[in-house]
Amino acid sequence: MSDMPETENLISAEKLRRLVETVDVANILTEPLTQSIENILQISAAEMCSDEASVLIRDGNEGDLRFLIAIGSVADQLIGIKIPAGKGIAGFVMSSGQPMAVADVGGEESFYAEVDKTTGYSTQTILATPLRHKGDVIGVLEYVNRCGEPPFEPFTPQEMDKAALFAESISPLINAYESAKLFRELGEKMMTDQQNSDVSEIRKWLLNLRESEEHKEMMDLAILVRELASRGDAERRMCREILEAVLRFSENKHETSFLGY
Amino acid sequence: MITVSGYESNAHTTMSTYFQIDENWKEGTGKGVSVAVIDSGIDIAHPDLAGKVKLSVEARPDNKRIVFDPSETGDSAGHGTACAGIINKIAPDAEFYSIKVLGAGGLGDGQAFLAGLEYAIKQRYRVINLSLGTTKPQFFAPLHDLLDRAYQAGCIVVAAANNLPHPSFPSVFSSSLISVIKSAETDPFKFGFHYGEVIELTAPGVNIRTAWLNGAYRNLTGNSFACPHIVGIIALLLEKYPTLTPFEVKSALYAIAKDNLEHKKTETEENE
Repeated sequence: MSDMPETENLISAEKLRRLVETVDVANILTEPLTQSIENILQISAAEMCSDEASVLIRDGNEGDLRFLIAIGSVADQLIGIKIPAGKGIAGFVMSSGQPMAVADVGGEESFYAEVDKTTGYSTQTILATPLRHKGDVIGVLEYVNRCGEPPFEPFTPQEMDKAALFAESISPLINAYESAKLFRELGEKMMTDQQNSDVSEIRKWLLNLRESEEHKEMMDLAILVRELASRGDAERRMCREILEAVLRFSENKHETSFLGY
Repeated sequence: MITVSGYESNAHTTMSTYFQIDENWKEGTGKGVSVAVIDSGIDIAHPDLAGKVKLSVEARPDNKRIVFDPSETGDSAGHGTACAGIINKIAPDAEFYSIKVLGAGGLGDGQAFLAGLEYAIKQRYRVINLSLGTTKPQFFAPLHDLLDRAYQAGCIVVAAANNLPHPSFPSVFSSSLISVIKSAETDPFKFGFHYGEVIELTAPGVNIRTAWLNGAYRNLTGNSFACPHIVGIIALLLEKYPTLTPFEVKSALYAIAKDNLEHKKTETEENE
């Protein structure tokens, strides 16, 4: 570094500063989200008298799913397991948008037998409900088995309705998580490509990353928040208050239907 | 004997209907009535369904269109087999047609099931089981159009309602199709209705024992499983009264549900 011309040195320092900030944004955004989702899972599983709960999210554009967050005895083994499109109960719920409960999953169930073989767990009763964001099914919320010893009572219709409400609270977090993940990927990309990439290359990659307007807007918003928050304590406090007020407004605004029912 | 009377008005016309249904419609088997199941496929090797599925087709993307080819891939999830199993319990002699739109890779959910519905209407299957739905606003208009076409073609579309809290399409289109929500009732003939609500009929949908993959059976809960009960009931009605229009079928279902409700009230009063 020492024999670098001073301007080049400054540019590198600036690049590094931006890089660190981007990675920070990613961590700041994803960690509380996954933590919140896990918290909701814990609370909801207790409410549903269920042993294991998990959130599965889209993996690619073909309708495949993967376990994002799970709680329970085999949670660690579940994370990352993939479910091909339309397979098993979660796959069906993902592609049909219909919740369902199966009282007696049973040993010969092709998909769950495979997952159970991996985890050593015995899936007996299951409730799965879609996670929706703006009409799109973005994942599946699952509750497996009951607290206590088998045989387990089947999930009730009331619990199915309750699960749909929990899904409503988790969906926006999943959506935010997916946006935050883009930042993290951006950070990683910048890290690995730092040697031979320049700004125009990153910009090009960024443009290709997501073509949808929604994603672009979300990224702009996150950058704006970071920008504001970096200007001082007062700005940060104001920013938080405004955002919290917007959140309260959005929570109170009862979203009914496209049809106005 | 149940008297069916009703009228329906829209911007262009008013339809009225008046006829009577003999109680013995319940003794039918659905013989000669074509029933399409738009779902994850049907396992034709299941002992309950062997020889009953006349044709299985599967959605396949072809450029920007979706085409339907004969399918030998069976059921990818168990759900279609479960629905067919429920219909079969009520109308064992109905002709089953499996239209597989779920579990075929590379297809958007709403897009594939819309194409499946269009295919079923083109084939003029009399009753169409749609235990699926979408909440995507962009499918509102095309679904509305398809359901109008179904209505005019004499196809009766029965859809599972969404559970809380968002309505899904097409189950909220109350005029041109029959939408069903689950109840804890176990007798399929004692179905009910929610008067004045978007969701109309209530049918058994809690812990329903029905056919599943690999010749097995499962106990299932969901609106998805209430819907095929009504499909089975319609197959029996159409066997006895083959010329009923979708409007007449719907009026008949109301009349029967109302009668069921009155019986239930009398029974409760007698028990008290």
